[in-house]
Amino acid sequence: MALGDAPGVFRAARREAYQLVSSRYALVLLVLLPLAGFALVSAIFWNRLPEALPVAVVDADRSLLSRRLVRMIDATKSMRVTGPFASPAEAFDEVLAARAYAVVTIPAHLERDVKRGTAPKVVLYYDALRLIPGSIVKRDVRAVVGTLSAGVEIQARKALGETPDVAAARFEPVRSMRGALFNPGLDYLAFLVPALGPTLLSIFVLVGAVHALGAELRDGTAGEWLAAGGSATRAVAGALLPQTLHFTALGLVTTALQFRLLGIPMRGSPLLVALATVLLVLAYQAVGLLIVAFSANLRLASSAAAFYGGPAFAFTGVTFPTFGMPFAAKAWGALLPLTHYLELLLGQAMRGAPPSASLAPLAALAAFVVLVPPLALWRMRRVMRDPAYWGRT
Amino acid sequence: MRTVFRAFLGEVRGTLRDPGALLVLVGAISLYAFFYPTPYRREVLKEVPVAVVDLDQTPLSRQLARMADAHELVRVSARAASLAEAERLVLKGEAGGILAIPSGFERDVKRGAPATVGVFADATYFLVYRQALTGLAEATATLSAGIEVKRLQAQGMPEAKALAFRDPLPLVSRPLFNPAEGYASYVVPGVLILILQQTLLIGIGLRGPADLTALGKGPLLARAAASVTGRSLAFCLLYAVHALFYFGIVARVFGFPVRGGGLAAAALVVPFLLSTSFLGLALSVLFRRREAAIQTLLFTSLPAIFLASYAWPPEALPAWLRAAAQAIPSTSAIPALLRANQMGASLAQVRHELGVLWGLAVVFFVAAVLAQAARVRRTA
Repeated sequence: MALGDAPGVFRAARREAYQLVSSRYALVLLVLLPLAGFALVSAIFWNRLPEALPVAVVDADRSLLSRRLVRMIDATKSMRVTGPFASPAEAFDEVLAARAYAVVTIPAHLERDVKRGTAPKVVLYYDALRLIPGSIVKRDVRAVVGTLSAGVEIQARKALGETPDVAAARFEPVRSMRGALFNPGLDYLAFLVPALGPTLLSIFVLVGAVHALGAELRDGTAGEWLAAGGSATRAVAGALLPQTLHFTALGLVTTALQFRLLGIPMRGSPLLVALATVLLVLAYQAVGLLIVAFSANLRLASSAAAFYGGPAFAFTGVTFPTFGMPFAAKAWGALLPLTHYLELLLGQAMRGAPPSASLAPLAALAAFVVLVPPLALWRMRRVMRDPAYWGRT
Repeated sequence: MRTVFRAFLGEVRGTLRDPGALLVLVGAISLYAFFYPTPYRREVLKEVPVAVVDLDQTPLSRQLARMADAHELVRVSARAASLAEAERLVLKGEAGGILAIPSGFERDVKRGAPATVGVFADATYFLVYRQALTGLAEATATLSAGIEVKRLQAQGMPEAKALAFRDPLPLVSRPLFNPAEGYASYVVPGVLILILQQTLLIGIGLRGPADLTALGKGPLLARAAASVTGRSLAFCLLYAVHALFYFGIVARVFGFPVRGGGLAAAALVVPFLLSTSFLGLALSVLFRRREAAIQTLLFTSLPAIFLASYAWPPEALPAWLRAAAQAIPSTSAIPALLRANQMGASLAQVRHELGVLWGLAVVFFVAAVLAQAARVRRTA
């Protein structure tokens, strides 16, 4: 970009900064709503792990063993037992009325049948439409029943004459020691929150850029704007510069704040993350420019920005990983700067990956910043000069 | 009554001549329905790549690696010479999990000493972690069960009895409402309801506040009430068609579980659309420019989805936030409609949300009428 004539950029930037400061709408859109969004997302995940998820238990046995099982479920941090329910139908009604995430049915004669060695089955029905609570309940009920079952087996082995040591050694010949890499607390907050802040940022940067550039066309002030900049490139760069600085600062502060306040670890290089944040802001501004240039209509550009930025999170691979997506979704995800930024951020923050592992996403982000503006400016030049493109809504 | 009808007709005519609003109120509905679910088309994340660190190199350790590879949730994508090397593969994103088999593994098993293998998964991504850990742990458990049953049989126990002996209290897990545990079936139906709300709010914002002078010369509040009623009727009729399209056609095209008979869903859709439409009209006086509706409301989908007792359990929300979120129609509409459509809940089982939605409809109706009237007074 021909930014050699800096005064043009500064004239355009000063003009834009003056417009932003004197506009109440700009204050709301660029400052208040982003801050409200960050605060809201942080508040949603403030409590971290869900606790005391209700589980409806139908105990048809009411023996020492079955009561012990119920107590063990209730004693977990993640679950609480509701009931008692006389029949499975009553317990399923609790799930349908959103008062429970799962039903555990304990058959009659559980204790007797366990002693007889006929392996009576405890059944867990868990809500698979509410994935996160459903998964937690499934994992923890399994752990509880597994512990109880192992205890019974060890007792039975002792009854066969094995010493306690031998029984403890033989009850499960191959055991797995499970471990979570990079997120030892298995904190759901750490899964999601670092990704949601930048997602909000990308939406506001895109909308802000579209607004700054599109409003000049809508209001028919593109002529003055162009004159202030001296050239289309300098006018555009100047108009975007105040928001570049504002959103870069906002992005860095909110990211740092979220990590600090919510205690999310930053294992990798904060410098690399900061660099990527700058590139993320520039990349979305470039896309905003592209949208305005090719729509030449602020309302249409806002709709296009909504389509591009709104559903983006689903395509980034944070919730459903990229390698499991069909090609079309993978390709669309690759066309979103957010995808590359989040790959870098999660790699650095959570995994503490070496910088070399983050080069590819960094290069992808840089590619947006380098490749998109020339294409957009090629068209923007004409749109800025020709009054036929102005005032369309 | 006549002014209500006039406001209704005026809105229908106005919307049909407004390509910007049509793009959101009609175009976005079908576009999103087929665009949004594309990442989840395969429903279940399978074949997560895992690295095997086999420090034992015995027939038994190789058998465990083969069993892991055969599990549908994981595939062995790499063999690493050390745990550190395997971790580097995970750092680069080339593997989502690690199966670490220590040296002496087969010897320990043969001696009757408990052998422990390491099963690690990348907890950076929730789904990768869950699938990799489940796949590797299940493969290990299957191997262990086989060994233990064979030993017990060697001691003279019949197979059936040995199976019961090694797991005297087995747990059977059954997923409810989403038998394949599909990710799209979990996430898309709820998001479709959110799309209805968000496009309706934005579309109404694009249409802007009403011109009450077109409704004759009656009292201002009566005209505002007639305008809000008539225009909402137009929006709600259009969105009733959208809701039918989403719940009836889109859900079936994608094969989402549908168990509800439709009565409870229909009863919920009415106050959901009314409250959303009234809210949209109340908000519309805040937008001085058409595009402001898109620009300011776009980000709200993200928090709204996490507040709707669906992507994130309400038990985990701070109490004040859980209460405040009741003011958003989707907070009640998404969980109640999911239960009605996907789980087959009856009207009685969604009555709480039904009450909240009707309450919101009343409050937002009053707010919309007052806001529209106040705007006329201010500009007059």
